[in-house]
Amino acid sequence: MTDQANLERGYRRLLAWYPRAFRREHGPEILAVLMACAPDGRRRPGLAASADLIRSGLRMRLRPSVPRSARTVRAAIGLMYAVAALRTVYLINAVYVFIVLACIDDNKIHHMRLPEVTGALQVPPVNIAGFTVGIVGQLAVIAVWLWIARAAGQRRNWARTAAAALLGLATLEIALFFAAPRLITDMPDAPALAMLTWPVVAAAVWLLWRPASTAFFKPTGSTQVPGKS
Amino acid sequence: MQEATFLILTALAGGSQHGYGIITDVREISGGRVRLRPGTLYTALDRLRADQLVEPDREEIVDGRLRRYYRLTPAGGKRLRAEAGRLQAHATAALTRLNLAGGMAG
Repeated sequence: MTDQANLERGYRRLLAWYPRAFRREHGPEILAVLMACAPDGRRRPGLAASADLIRSGLRMRLRPSVPRSARTVRAAIGLMYAVAALRTVYLINAVYVFIVLACIDDNKIHHMRLPEVTGALQVPPVNIAGFTVGIVGQLAVIAVWLWIARAAGQRRNWARTAAAALLGLATLEIALFFAAPRLITDMPDAPALAMLTWPVVAAAVWLLWRPASTAFFKPTGSTQVPGKS
Repeated sequence: MQEATFLILTALAGGSQHGYGIITDVREISGGRVRLRPGTLYTALDRLRADQLVEPDREEIVDGRLRRYYRLTPAGGKRLRAEAGRLQAHATAALTRLNLAGGMAG
């Protein structure tokens, strides 16, 4: 195989980081530019060029191009990513707390006789199964928000309905925390997270159902029936 | 507006260009300082297309490879003009004040 063919294959592989639709439309074009930009004698993609393609590809996957004019949708997508980010930070913290709790020697704590502290630390031994379920659940919720945010950027109308449904679930979750606090989860500070994310989710849903957003999801003309006015 | 975006629009202000043409032109305009990478360029072009500031012009095949040309839309021209005016006003203000300060010092 010649150096050029080798290099081209390397670039093709890197283009897999881009969304398929984008690759189908722009793949050959970008490949031509990449080959033109490559210095003579190069046999495989350079580190900087690879990093650039991976970063751009991921960015395009996570952040579909929503026109500047669709402000409400852009803001809603930003808020949905904020929810995912909040939950990620929470997840990292929860895993940390879990590790700390799991490492604490139970016997020592019971000998410390600090009434206020023992009150908080009597929860261990940690319920590993409950915690694992909580972490997997968190990961699933983060994935769902990322998915909905992406779908909203692609003008999928169901994304609005899905976001509204998740808002309903979030409301239910908070109600349940009040009704039966120990029933729900073994994750630390889960009610605080629910309270913190609820307004963000509510704002995103509100933005998605504004008339300005509806124009983005249902472009004029596509739903009109000819002959009727 | 980001500098790369501004330079891409500037490159297209003189007429339609294909991807590699934009990269070399941007390097020239910026005196060799801004070297766009293909990934960055196409991310920016995608965004500019979504905002309807840039649109595809024509395609040709050279040496078996696809070249797609892009051109500025009227909205893109307007946007670039506004941005250039803003930058010019800032630059003028900076130079005026520097000259004033220089005059007082000397």
